[in-house]
Amino acid sequence: MEDGGSVKLLPSLAFTAVLLQKSFSIMCSGKAKGMDINMKRTSMKIKGAYIYFAFTVIPAALYTFFYVISVINGIRYSFTDWDGMSMEYHYVGFKNYRMLFRNPNFWNSLKTTLLYSCMLVVSVILASLFLAISLNSLKCFKTFVKSIFFVPAMIGGVTIALIWDQLFYRVVPMIGQFLGIGWLSQSLLMTGKTALPAVVFVQAWQAVAMPTVIFIAGLQQIPEEQYESAKIDGATAFAQFWYITMPYLLPTVTVNLVLTIKQGFTSFDFPYAMTGGGPVRATEVIGILIYNDAFKNMRFSVANAEACVLFVVVAAFSLTQLKLTGKGGGRE
Amino acid sequence: MKKINDITGWKLLRTMLLTCGLILILFPLYLVVINAFKTLDEAGRNFFALPERLNLSNFAELFTNSNYWVFLRNSLKITVISVGLILIFVPSVSYAVARNFEKRYYRTVYYYLLMGLFIPSQVIMLPVTKMMTKLGLLNHTGLIILYAAFSLTQGVFLFVNYIRGLPYEIEESAQIDGCGVLGTYVRIVLPLVKPMLSTLLIMDALWIWNDFMLPLLILNRAKEIWTLPLFQYNFKTEYSFNYTMAFTAYLLAMLPMLFIYCLGQKYIIKGLTAGSVKG
Repeated sequence: MEDGGSVKLLPSLAFTAVLLQKSFSIMCSGKAKGMDINMKRTSMKIKGAYIYFAFTVIPAALYTFFYVISVINGIRYSFTDWDGMSMEYHYVGFKNYRMLFRNPNFWNSLKTTLLYSCMLVVSVILASLFLAISLNSLKCFKTFVKSIFFVPAMIGGVTIALIWDQLFYRVVPMIGQFLGIGWLSQSLLMTGKTALPAVVFVQAWQAVAMPTVIFIAGLQQIPEEQYESAKIDGATAFAQFWYITMPYLLPTVTVNLVLTIKQGFTSFDFPYAMTGGGPVRATEVIGILIYNDAFKNMRFSVANAEACVLFVVVAAFSLTQLKLTGKGGGRE
Repeated sequence: MKKINDITGWKLLRTMLLTCGLILILFPLYLVVINAFKTLDEAGRNFFALPERLNLSNFAELFTNSNYWVFLRNSLKITVISVGLILIFVPSVSYAVARNFEKRYYRTVYYYLLMGLFIPSQVIMLPVTKMMTKLGLLNHTGLIILYAAFSLTQGVFLFVNYIRGLPYEIEESAQIDGCGVLGTYVRIVLPLVKPMLSTLLIMDALWIWNDFMLPLLILNRAKEIWTLPLFQYNFKTEYSFNYTMAFTAYLLAMLPMLFIYCLGQKYIIKGLTAGSVKG
């Protein structure tokens, strides 16, 4: 059973072969009717069709072998009792899933992930929206300030997490003591209640940059006359924001929502580098649970089942979102 | 009268919050930079002040005792080759799909590649590790292949929509003038999609350079093949007591990207937004 991977290559090869056949028949169907003048152009068209086809071969193969087969393998492993190491394994049906749904740690992790995503999305969207609007209306130092706010996007998640790890340990408690705030004077990452918001804060620190520039780009598409006429009509700043800015920004909001929600659900670097899931599973998002179960607790198949459940959740979420917004992620 | 209050109030609030934001961004970076130049002893005495003198012992020790240059080279190599491959594959496959969208094969390829949008990275991370182990690809080559494969979904999603928005007439007239598909692609399409190419380049370069999860899964076995983020992470346990050393390491890990950012921040920000909002 060890060479399960190569066995799985066969169906996909068959799939590719079928695609090949199909495409050839499509390519050939449109050729060679009649006249001489068209002959040359037709032959060029056929050659062009081959080139088009050649363009797709390597990417589709790479994607199939390394992405799709992995997904299929992951689903397959979730129905076995494999520990990830031993030479053989057996199919056990839905046993892993049944175990999972009875496992409080799993539910806790799912809840943590949801909470994490919610906090991240709300803080990132609000902060970036505010930042974009303020930066856009700034008269002096605009480029300079904007470029500073974008710096976090250039730094890697692990580096940021580790820097803040140090700051939470050495600097933040000092500030807390100075201000006389109780919960701020101990290390935030060591306390169960504050650890999760602290990790979210650090990821938001980085994640705000990208939505901000996207919002700014969206803001710059709003015609200035709209504001002019609103001002003449005596609209307040808030009314201008609500009736002019918001409707124009709505597509951009969707883009940023999609980006940030996905970041939240798949978050791994930040909690892993800062808390490793602790204290007492307070920051154990699903990515960490899966990693630990697979590589530390030797429950490889269970970890795959966890990943599959997350897959279903994310897919359901994305499909609903697509339905609601009516287009593919709304990148326009 | 009320309106004026309204506007000055907003301006005051704006300036205040922007300043807070700037401090929030710059202060941690400031602390990292100044403490990288201090000895542990000095940092213990005054953590927030500028260093008393330019002390480069941390840097010297890091350069001699750890393989910083090796990790930097690994990161560079992986990022450059992967992004190069991505810039070859993504536009070409997207072009083929965008210009043949009425044919079933290309539509299938498109939706097939887009499937990945719904799949969270955690689903991939375990089986792909097992597969790469079996194939003996727990090395740079394996990682580069994975980046090339995993970048397809988002890249094709961005590119196909962009190319379909381009006017077809230019390509058509090129083809009437005797330009083949390949010629049209290289001479006409590639220059037209330059804004999108720069978006893809910057996005994927940032992702690959800073990525932690895939190197953790693929490269964690042998120290010589680590990338900078892995070095960072493992440094945490190695030097947990000596935190000024850690700050030096963080500074060194950030520097290459910050350097590039300083050179081309205008292009980077513009490039990243070009793909997200159509002009």
